[in-house]
Amino acid sequence: MEQPWSGIRVVEIGDGVAVSCAGKQFADFGADVVKVERLGGGEVRRLPPFPGDRPHRDRGGFHLSLNSGKRSLALDVCTPSGREVIGRLASGAQLAFVELPPAAAGAVLDALRRAQAAPSVVVMSPHGLDGPYRDRRENDLSVFAWTTRLHRHRLEGEPPLRYAPHVVAMQVGLTAAAAAAGAVWGQLHDGARRDAEVSAVEALAGNVDTSFVAWSLSGGAPSVPRRSRGTYPVGTYRCKDGYVQLTAGDSPFFERACRAIDRPDFIDDPRFLTKEVRPAHHEEFLAVFQPWLDARTKGEVFRAMQSERVLCTPILDISEALADAQSVARGSYVAVDQPGVGTMTLAGPPFRLGGVEGDRWSAGPAPCLGEHGGEILDGLGYSRDEQQALFRAGVTG
Amino acid sequence: MTGRALAGVRVIELSEVWAGPVGGSLLGDLGADVIKVESFPRFSPTRPIDPNDWRVAPGEGPAYEHSWAQHQGNRNKRNMAINLRHEAGTAAFRRLLERADVVIDSFSAGTMEKLGFDWERMHRDAPRLIRLSLPGWGLSGPYQGYVSFGGGFDCVTGHTAVRGYPWRGVEETSPITHSDATVPLHIVFAVVTALRERERTGEGMLVDLSQVEELATQIPGVLAEWSLNGRLPVRVGNGEQHVVPHQCYRASGEDRWVVLAAEDDAQWGALARAVGHPEWAEDGHPWATVVGRLRDREAVDAALSERAGGQQAEALADRVQDEGGIAAPVAGPQEMLLSPQLNARGWFPTIDHPYTGPRIQAGFLWRFAPDPPSWDLPCGLVGEYNRELLREHGYDDAEIDRLEANGAIGYSYG
Repeated sequence: MEQPWSGIRVVEIGDGVAVSCAGKQFADFGADVVKVERLGGGEVRRLPPFPGDRPHRDRGGFHLSLNSGKRSLALDVCTPSGREVIGRLASGAQLAFVELPPAAAGAVLDALRRAQAAPSVVVMSPHGLDGPYRDRRENDLSVFAWTTRLHRHRLEGEPPLRYAPHVVAMQVGLTAAAAAAGAVWGQLHDGARRDAEVSAVEALAGNVDTSFVAWSLSGGAPSVPRRSRGTYPVGTYRCKDGYVQLTAGDSPFFERACRAIDRPDFIDDPRFLTKEVRPAHHEEFLAVFQPWLDARTKGEVFRAMQSERVLCTPILDISEALADAQSVARGSYVAVDQPGVGTMTLAGPPFRLGGVEGDRWSAGPAPCLGEHGGEILDGLGYSRDEQQALFRAGVTG
Repeated sequence: MTGRALAGVRVIELSEVWAGPVGGSLLGDLGADVIKVESFPRFSPTRPIDPNDWRVAPGEGPAYEHSWAQHQGNRNKRNMAINLRHEAGTAAFRRLLERADVVIDSFSAGTMEKLGFDWERMHRDAPRLIRLSLPGWGLSGPYQGYVSFGGGFDCVTGHTAVRGYPWRGVEETSPITHSDATVPLHIVFAVVTALRERERTGEGMLVDLSQVEELATQIPGVLAEWSLNGRLPVRVGNGEQHVVPHQCYRASGEDRWVVLAAEDDAQWGALARAVGHPEWAEDGHPWATVVGRLRDREAVDAALSERAGGQQAEALADRVQDEGGIAAPVAGPQEMLLSPQLNARGWFPTIDHPYTGPRIQAGFLWRFAPDPPSWDLPCGLVGEYNRELLREHGYDDAEIDRLEANGAIGYSYG
């Protein structure tokens, strides 16, 4: 099947979640993505979960999800021989992603830039390639700490709290993919090779969902919205079989919520008429609202609220998300046959070209470590003798 | 001048609040010509008209021109304000579409059709036009048309169920709007991918970007745990099931915190040295090994809590980092502004705006060479480019004056 990125070769160098996420965007839309990995397999292959909780470098959940449809070359890029391979790979590529510790990144970037018809290069790191923190080691939690998000997301009296695990690296990878898409498009159209550099801290701090701009422009920082007596109904509420979240504290949503719970009289009730008087009557509202919720499942609350166009959703765990009517109707999750694992469920396309029936996205199985080493080196013109020499010297694996 | 990578690509952005507007700005950063068509006479939710609204920053002129919520997501685009419920406004908008490569809308499914812009007709009128639509639930299925918000996407995709304090109830989970950060990135990728597809087929297309599906791609580990092992992940808060330590600890000072983590023995050694206990990492000590720390999780946490408690967050993080470990102070906006790294990289631009005056803004998401992004256009005023853009699209001044007189375009709210 011809796909939008068919005919584009991407070289992905590094083992992290971010670089794997970046390359996946292109692989799933048809690019030939060669993943260059360290000989023993790096972070993305070592992250749990594993089937049956048995660690295995070809069977980890992150690896299977994020390396879909790529080819794998196990290579020691910290040797001149390894970097020569990188140089040859680069000569046939339009794009390279790099996520390596700064000490290793410099020589690899030089090798990429020395290549004939060098590709655009997008490099990811925690803090960027220069500045006093360039050599710092970080992880998902510590990067998050620099971006104001950790500081902001919390309950009173509790420590700052992160979001779901690994969403930071995923966002960094997506940022790199967005920059890369622009870089490749530009290079294909004006011939100018582009270099992009993504610092994880900057990628998150420069995006929305931080409190910096609010603070800088208006001196205040937005708090995370939660249940309060001041504005309601807003936040998470218990119902018969779980929880729902809604945002209906402001007009016209408050009025719509009143209609959804069959209390249109509240709309003109002096106790709830304005935002100024409402806080004093929070308990009275809850005395009606909570029994209404208790009598209904989260699905029923969701549909009743949405029928009046109230911003409301159920809180679903992942098993419920998979079985949800909308996910099923749209095929939001897909099954991929993974050799050695069986059927694995992956999130489907992040967007669909040609509408919901569009078929330009596909997720193939993830490669075993070094699975495509031979064919890749063949394609780069290495003879069998040269390939054996590289393997014997521990350059390939 | 800002980036040139997407030079020649014209994007019309018909979206509000965060995801769509930020996607538009990022395309603008890359050099696309982005035209923001704002709602008129109804004002956007991020343009409060009440000067006492908490989002309004100090400044001159109408409140809706200096709301931080509008300023944050709207650089590098030209603003128009068109009444799409007015016949002449609709006609002007159609003219814009004829010369556009991409139109981005963030309405609920069905709204564009109600305004007279069904895809079949758009495609017939402008066969090369790409329409990227980003309703919360997508353009099909039983929930199409449902109203949506960032916090809700977090709930229905399984994110909310795994974040939160392990010792607190689900009821105490706060809404977050993570999708507002990730969807714009996929907007950029989707636009360029669709442009590639158009080069292949010669035709425009409808791109259906469900924000729910987009966010569902962001937690592969949670999905894999269910798919591979039939288990729902437990809520771990700031912890990691297989990494000790991995927490946020209270530091000295009011409400100051520091993140400390050690993913392997070497990082643990660095951390132990930095807090004055190198013996914790010596052979034979129960905490010197990965498994030893895992078995002794509470004691390790308690010991680090005690050591961190008396120390200044930045100083402790610096010491751990100097030793080769992982640590970071938990930065609020003020601490972020003081970051030696962000300042050394000149990351914070000062942007002048007619109504706020110069203000320090957050920097770009990426560095780019040889054509780096620059802040060519600060957040636009309502209808600021109405005249320029209408002229570009063949209107003469008399016609433009008539559009204004009829209320088909505008320059102010309230």
